[in-house]
Amino acid sequence: MKSLPCLSYLRQHFGAIKYTNKAQHIITKKKLNLIDNCISVIGKSAAWLSLLMVITTFLIVILRYIFGFGFVWLHESLIWMHGTIFMLGISYTMSTDEHVKVDILYRSFTKKTQLWVNFFGFLFLVFPFCIFLYKTSWDFVLNSWSVKEISRDAGGLPYPGLPLLKTMLLIMPALIGIKSVSIFIRIALALKS
Amino acid sequence: MEWIALLLFLTIIVVLLLGFPVAFTLAGTSLIFAFFGIITGVFEQSFLTALPDRIFGIMTNATLLAIPMFIFMGITLEKSKIAENLLESLSEIFLSIKGGLGITVTLIGMLLAASTGIVGATVVTMGLIALPTMLKKGYSVEIATGTICASGTLGQIIPPSIVLVMLGDVISSSYQYAQLSQGNFSPRTVSVGDLFAGALIPGLILVALYIMYILITAYINPKTMPSNKTEKPTKQDFKTITTALIAPLFLIFSVLGSILLGIATPTEASGIGATGALLISYARKTLSIKQLSDISQSTLKITSMVFFILIGASLFSLVFRGFSGDEMIHDFLINLPGEKITALLITMIAIFILGFVLDFIEITFVVVPIVAPILLTMGIDPIWLAIMIAINLQTSFLTPPFGFALFYLRGVAPKSITTQQIYKGVIPFILIQIFMLIILALYPDLVTWLPNYIYS
Repeated sequence: MKSLPCLSYLRQHFGAIKYTNKAQHIITKKKLNLIDNCISVIGKSAAWLSLLMVITTFLIVILRYIFGFGFVWLHESLIWMHGTIFMLGISYTMSTDEHVKVDILYRSFTKKTQLWVNFFGFLFLVFPFCIFLYKTSWDFVLNSWSVKEISRDAGGLPYPGLPLLKTMLLIMPALIGIKSVSIFIRIALALKS
Repeated sequence: MEWIALLLFLTIIVVLLLGFPVAFTLAGTSLIFAFFGIITGVFEQSFLTALPDRIFGIMTNATLLAIPMFIFMGITLEKSKIAENLLESLSEIFLSIKGGLGITVTLIGMLLAASTGIVGATVVTMGLIALPTMLKKGYSVEIATGTICASGTLGQIIPPSIVLVMLGDVISSSYQYAQLSQGNFSPRTVSVGDLFAGALIPGLILVALYIMYILITAYINPKTMPSNKTEKPTKQDFKTITTALIAPLFLIFSVLGSILLGIATPTEASGIGATGALLISYARKTLSIKQLSDISQSTLKITSMVFFILIGASLFSLVFRGFSGDEMIHDFLINLPGEKITALLITMIAIFILGFVLDFIEITFVVVPIVAPILLTMGIDPIWLAIMIAINLQTSFLTPPFGFALFYLRGVAPKSITTQQIYKGVIPFILIQIFMLIILALYPDLVTWLPNYIYS
């Protein structure tokens, strides 16, 4: 269940490969690094929301038990942060390979077999999922924007709050997709060598 | 088309065993099956269009809101090195008792478990800090590894564990469904607090049984657990203990107490717990901006991992239902001879075996939603069922050759320790677990008494 050595292996391996078209290789590598950095910045920024969640909850409790009042929007902001944390965090979690896997057999595979498992996994499991989720969520999200959906409870988060949260349903598969392209190309390059 | 549902489940197990991440495997494999189902006209496409709504439901689920903050609390405590300090100071005091170090490790496991609630984390931490100490003090390898594995898995059953929060959510919706399907339109509810209350007594009994086993072994076979009478605890030790033990104990009791007494919701309690953990960390001078950033990032990653599995599992359950897999399971369990006892026994055995391949999160989100409504319709108590599932899985994680806890410990144990020694070490604890399951089956009141007492 621990992070697999595959990625660090790739990283080491990647630098050592000699390509016939070296210039092009460097460009690809730069592009891939750019993707990874973007995902990393998004993930690290979203991570602070967890601290903000803790502080907000503390505030809610103080307000409720000491001063005897509460705000609906403050409580809704918790839900908002909670959803945002993992919808933005899934792709970032991929970069350190911390999504749970069953590695009873996996760890005894050779590096090459592990690469092939990931190659086919991304091809048949990850990409279709991203495309499918993006497509099915489209109307769901668009509808929310077009009716200017607001919170059902009085005093909830103001207008763009709810549609914005629903838009995470598009952002999540998009980020996973982009991140997967980056990982997939690295796997393919490692397999080629 | 029920056999396709079965094939889907088996395919997922195979793909999981290849080692591709669980969440993607659940989602991707289900999609492929749905795709071929739609092409051949045996699968209704409308099942899939419910997905965005399902995911949005997960995002806005108020019960699960407590999970990131409990994770935050656990990681903060873990990173403030409280466990290391506790082990050092407590073992000095307990070392004069036979088996004292073993007891210390069990108690720390319990404390750590209550604060993190993540099996892997607890076993790894204990393996890294407690195993070298135990071996250095002359404990036999079997006793040391067995104690660490067993006390590390306590994380699932000792509240406030995050798996009980997840299980609470699933069991409560299953319970609603079961009652509605029986025509009860004002169904009773089960809360996360109920589960915490229900888990408390069995959890403490388990700890007591572990300690009893250690004491008895120390008495019968003192060679395996040497005591050291020459070292006297110093004043310094007592001082460290007050700072290292009192604060987290106070924290855990206040979090748990406020939930059980109904003063605070689990979400509020988790937020307060996390704030308290930050204060403890600050008091121990381990808090810095860098540390805060690390804590936040670990929280984000574990939260994402958990919720992504939930998303994958919800896609799986839509497709599984689309191929009428749930009806198949329902018909199977309903038509068994011996009715609910056989149905329960078979479910428990199935969960035990699945526990070799699937983690607690996956079992909770994939398997429990399928079987729980059926069992609850048969009249089984929801809280009791949840706790039985939790202890059953805990046992499964300890059982060789596939138990997760054993793998985690193997990963951090020195090479000189053989896998056989680890296997041998956990066997007594597995027997204790099974004994506990039998006790709970015979005396369900041990689970249901406290929640009924508190909430009636």
